[in-house]
Amino acid sequence: MDKEGEQLENYTKYKLKSNDELAELLADKDNLFIVACNKCFKEFETVDEPECSELEKFAAEQGKTVTGSIRVDFLCNKTLTEKKLQDIIPEGTENVIVISCGLGIQTVADLAGKPVYAASNSLNYTGHHGMALTKKSCDACAQCYLNITGGICPIVDCSKSLVNGQCGGAKDGKCEVDGNKDCAWEKIYKRLEKQGRLEEFLNQPVQLRDYSKVNVNVIRNYVNAVREERFAGYYGGVHPSERKELSEHIALERFPEPKTAVISMSQHLGAPANPVVQVGDTVKVGQKIGEASAFISAPVHSSVSGTVVAVEPRLHATRGSEVMAVVIESDGKNTLHESVKPHKGYEELTPDEIIEIVREAGIVGMGGAGFPTAVKLKPNKPIEAVILNGCECEPLLTADHRVLLEFADDIIYGLKAVLKTVDAQKGIIVIEDNKPDAIALMEEKVADCENIEVVTARTKYPQGAEKTLIKRVTGRTVPRGGLPADVGVVVSNISTVKAISDAIQTGMPLIERVATVTGEKIKKPGNYIVKIGTSVKDMIDYCGGTTDDDVQIKMGGPMMGFELTDLDVPMMKGSNGIIAVDTDQTQPMECIKCGRCVDVCPMELSPLYFAKYADEQNWQGMKDMNVMDCVECRSCEFICSSKIPLVSKIKAGKNAIREMK
Amino acid sequence: MLITELKSKEIIASLVDGKKVFMINCQGCKEVRFPEKESVELRKELAADGKLTGFITTDYICNPENMKLRLQKHMSEIEAADVVLVLSCGVGVQTIAEYLEDKPVYAACDTYPLPGFQGVTPLEYDCDQCGECYLNLTGGICPITACSKSLVNGQCGGCKDGKCEVDSEMECGWERIYRRLAQIGRLDVLKCPTQIRNFATDDEVSK
Repeated sequence: MDKEGEQLENYTKYKLKSNDELAELLADKDNLFIVACNKCFKEFETVDEPECSELEKFAAEQGKTVTGSIRVDFLCNKTLTEKKLQDIIPEGTENVIVISCGLGIQTVADLAGKPVYAASNSLNYTGHHGMALTKKSCDACAQCYLNITGGICPIVDCSKSLVNGQCGGAKDGKCEVDGNKDCAWEKIYKRLEKQGRLEEFLNQPVQLRDYSKVNVNVIRNYVNAVREERFAGYYGGVHPSERKELSEHIALERFPEPKTAVISMSQHLGAPANPVVQVGDTVKVGQKIGEASAFISAPVHSSVSGTVVAVEPRLHATRGSEVMAVVIESDGKNTLHESVKPHKGYEELTPDEIIEIVREAGIVGMGGAGFPTAVKLKPNKPIEAVILNGCECEPLLTADHRVLLEFADDIIYGLKAVLKTVDAQKGIIVIEDNKPDAIALMEEKVADCENIEVVTARTKYPQGAEKTLIKRVTGRTVPRGGLPADVGVVVSNISTVKAISDAIQTGMPLIERVATVTGEKIKKPGNYIVKIGTSVKDMIDYCGGTTDDDVQIKMGGPMMGFELTDLDVPMMKGSNGIIAVDTDQTQPMECIKCGRCVDVCPMELSPLYFAKYADEQNWQGMKDMNVMDCVECRSCEFICSSKIPLVSKIKAGKNAIREMK
Repeated sequence: MLITELKSKEIIASLVDGKKVFMINCQGCKEVRFPEKESVELRKELAADGKLTGFITTDYICNPENMKLRLQKHMSEIEAADVVLVLSCGVGVQTIAEYLEDKPVYAACDTYPLPGFQGVTPLEYDCDQCGECYLNLTGGICPITACSKSLVNGQCGGCKDGKCEVDSEMECGWERIYRRLAQIGRLDVLKCPTQIRNFATDDEVSK
């Protein structure tokens, strides 16, 4: 097992008890229901592990009735196992027999409400380990000795776990306990000699091992803290490094006028807009240049005044292909179009009038998804609450944070207009606890609004995803394939309602937005009010460029952003940031069924199957595992110990399934 | 599954005293507790003293293949350093120490065990992998981990008001077992023959 290069060890945690033991176990029991765990920490080759059938066969041979069986992944995942076992144990079952390691058996014993028996023994392997992939292990002694031993662990590598040198029993460098094993202390000596550290080593005081350091209370507290974090608000999620300190304190600045604006006709979900201008036309700021072409679509307006120089397909940042765009050369005068003029206050407008203003202003969800807001404002179900998403759970980005701080009044105005439009009683502004200044400001601003409340959410990614946000705030679960309106909620991004406020109060359509340019590889990070159609390259240049060429540039945040290989792409309605970060040199490896992707998926899916099925082009399998519910938050890919590009596999699957229809 | 905690300031200061340092932070398996804030502070202190030749913050450094790929572009910074300071669990430190065999590689963290020994943790349950599962005799509550003394034949008699005499915040495992068995109507299993724990099975079963 110690062979170099042989890394994928099978760390399967259990094996079936012997037939004699099983016969004895089953002797006085009948009407059995079998629950089998599909094993973890092993190469993910098959979804059909043999033990369950073996036991079913054995029970039949013993003349027992098996009322049913279920094979479950990660049986020890209590949240998911509880759902899987619900209503599945048939009437007439007297005993539940579990094939799993001790964790899974205890989980089922707590859930089943019936006598639960183990048909397997848990296997032992030496020491704890990070990811069960390497031959080395760590005994978690809480007093790391590696600093005095050149990085060779005396607790694990020495049979006797001696911490003060050799026992004297080694022969020819081999351990007296196990002749196949090298003496750890000889290895330590050689390594330290090589590094010239023998003097330092011999002068070390005698080491004592303090067994009381691994204190049950310390560990219990850690476990409780970690569990609390894991389940805060909703199942799963991750905590990537935030790194917002790079730009959160920098006030908004108006980005210089673009010389040429490339305005894409497809900045939203749904049908692209149809261009309504031609080459040579003169256009003004706020003039409609593309018309909505379907119910789910949105018009597009010019962000500059000047001359149309091209109407042609241009590279689209988030689609990676060319999409129809209108290219305008700015005259630098910023002449307003005559259609841009203030409307009546929202108090005097009817809901239908507000929806019409929002539609005509081309407002779409500015958190990134780009769903046409006017459609969202006309749900066919009664709405109780409007939730404003001010979480900005993506690491690095601080655009929404600055909007909260600098446009608080506009946000509240926009929220009130939305509340009136959907006839909801309550407005809830959700902000993550890493933005205390924004929380304090908004609380002050809504102090005299009876129907608006500010909710502070503990920072966790992907809090801002619509469904997790609803779960976090209301405790309600949006059904699979459903919409927020199904649970009486409309969710909107704070930048979107700010745009609604602008559209009503000034008549200005959506032609600019706030975006962050940041990342440890950007020389001068900042937050900018930038016109739609401004080139990403200009933005990076304006921020001093990147510190070196070994850089990854993304539109959006590090989690859900789109990697840009060509920077000659325009900013769009949904572009909340441009980041330049370090590249990561890794290669995907085999899935080892560590279960972490299942552990973090906020939609409670099993991403490991998506990787396996995508490779087999088993699209039906992916569909059956509810791949269409995936929100592509990338938590699974982030945590994957084998660095499998799960999201691109998921996207491939979704595309294939859409084509199947 | 492991928890890491930064060693004391004094110990870390003694490790890096007068030396140039390359720092490797492993945020690891993510759900494992990693002292992120403290590690950033330490890094800033080292940088302010002009001691830092470079650093990398990454995950799963225990995966030697990917770790090598990631370290490649930092090799000149590593060479410029006298010591490599690793903030990770013991597995990560050993992986780096073996790869950078000629360089003193120091652990800046201590590693604690975390209950639940696999992917989907941390759980409220623990399994000691004893190799001879007793759960059938105990209504699915593990006497090895739920009892401070890992007794396999019933209560020691030392508990007071249902709390363990070793740790008064802990419920007596055998009282829990009794209640569970009563609940499922299987108190009869308490009449089974005396259990003997064979500590040798640990290794035997694994082979």
